[in-house]
Amino acid sequence: MPVLTEEFVPILVKTGASARVDVARTARFRVGDWVRVKNINPTTHTRMPRYVRGKLGCIKRDHGVFITPDAVAHGLGEHPQHLYSVSFSATELWGDVALAQDSLRIDLWDDYMELAEHE
Amino acid sequence: MNSIHDLGGMHGLGPVLQDPNEVLFRHDWERRIFGLFFAAFGGGHFNIDEFRHAVERMEPVHYLTSSYYEHWVHGIESLLIAKGVIGQDELAARMLSLKGAA
Amino acid sequence: MKHTPTDYHDHEHTEPPSDIELRVKALESILQEKQLIDPAALDALIDIYEHKVGPRNGAQVVAKAWSDPQYKQRLLQDATAAIAELGFGGVQGEDMLVVENTAAVHNVVVCTLCSCYPWPTLGLPPIWYKSAPYRSRIVIEPRSVLAEFGVTLAPSKEVRVWDSNAELRYLVLPERPVDTEGWSEAQLMKLVTRNAMIGTGLALPAGDIR
Repeated sequence: MPVLTEEFVPILVKTGASARVDVARTARFRVGDWVRVKNINPTTHTRMPRYVRGKLGCIKRDHGVFITPDAVAHGLGEHPQHLYSVSFSATELWGDVALAQDSLRIDLWDDYMELAEHE
Repeated sequence: MNSIHDLGGMHGLGPVLQDPNEVLFRHDWERRIFGLFFAAFGGGHFNIDEFRHAVERMEPVHYLTSSYYEHWVHGIESLLIAKGVIGQDELAARMLSLKGAA
Repeated sequence: MKHTPTDYHDHEHTEPPSDIELRVKALESILQEKQLIDPAALDALIDIYEHKVGPRNGAQVVAKAWSDPQYKQRLLQDATAAIAELGFGGVQGEDMLVVENTAAVHNVVVCTLCSCYPWPTLGLPPIWYKSAPYRSRIVIEPRSVLAEFGVTLAPSKEVRVWDSNAELRYLVLPERPVDTEGWSEAQLMKLVTRNAMIGTGLALPAGDIR
């Protein structure tokens, strides 16, 4: 194993480790698509919080291709896929306690969602 | 996993408390564990997702009643033990000897 | 229950500090003995985040965006590159997004699952940002949490909460305060607080630094 030396510290801090990867992957969704977040309950690692599961959202931005934490946390490879900024109305997430004009944005991977109908 | 770390939307966890006199590190051990995280991460002993998952596996009551950097201690320690970098007994023995020396 | 401003509440009675101190010391000494760490590297890392990186970096980005419309456009299009123009980037800011507050939208950032935060522009997060109350409440009752921070918004304004659950890191571009025409970037920077760049605050009014 390499040892992080004092000389390398400024380089590490300045460079970091981007989770964005430069590989071609077909995006499953386009900006403007309506999506439903899957209702999954893995006992393993996921970055899909419970409060968005089963909810209806709208794709607002395609961030590009990123590695998938659900796989990386378990040594299952990087599993690169598109990551999107997805918008949910506050009332979709929380019902009547929320105001209709408020919203929430969260970043979700291709695997987390299915294409949905929206009236 | 559906663990205590997934806090969004929960009730009853109290008010958001701001401390205008807050310091970045309240104890020297917080500084050291912050540095140790980088050293272990930069040395390739684990990745950030393994680290987050290790923190998620904390016992829920302990998660809620311990500080942020205690989560880091737990995450780093449990991963280094799981990966065989250090031994659980080795750590316990070293704590005893340090206690004796103090 | 009496709440004190520690991470969640006062836990010192359940875990004596001496115990955790010993654990960290033991960890460090074992790793050092195995030659897996360079203690000087630890010192250098701690020094950077304790003394060299902080919200002044982000304030510089905001002040430049307020002063230079072309920079603002670049910042909103490709925040990582625009922030790098000022020399900031790296760990926990590898992929940045800047979200703009307007007359119609107020943005506020959280990480409900852990405590993700844009280190190169804001430094390390404050304790309240990492706390269970903030992480649980800001998504479901943003307006009452914002009110506790002194930010009261018109009901007509959209509150947009950003949960930074992936590896994108978010910085809020606050609205520029009125009566600051002709101010230098250095003057403008003084109006930009850390909370204004998280979204739990607004930029200070011009009168505050005159």
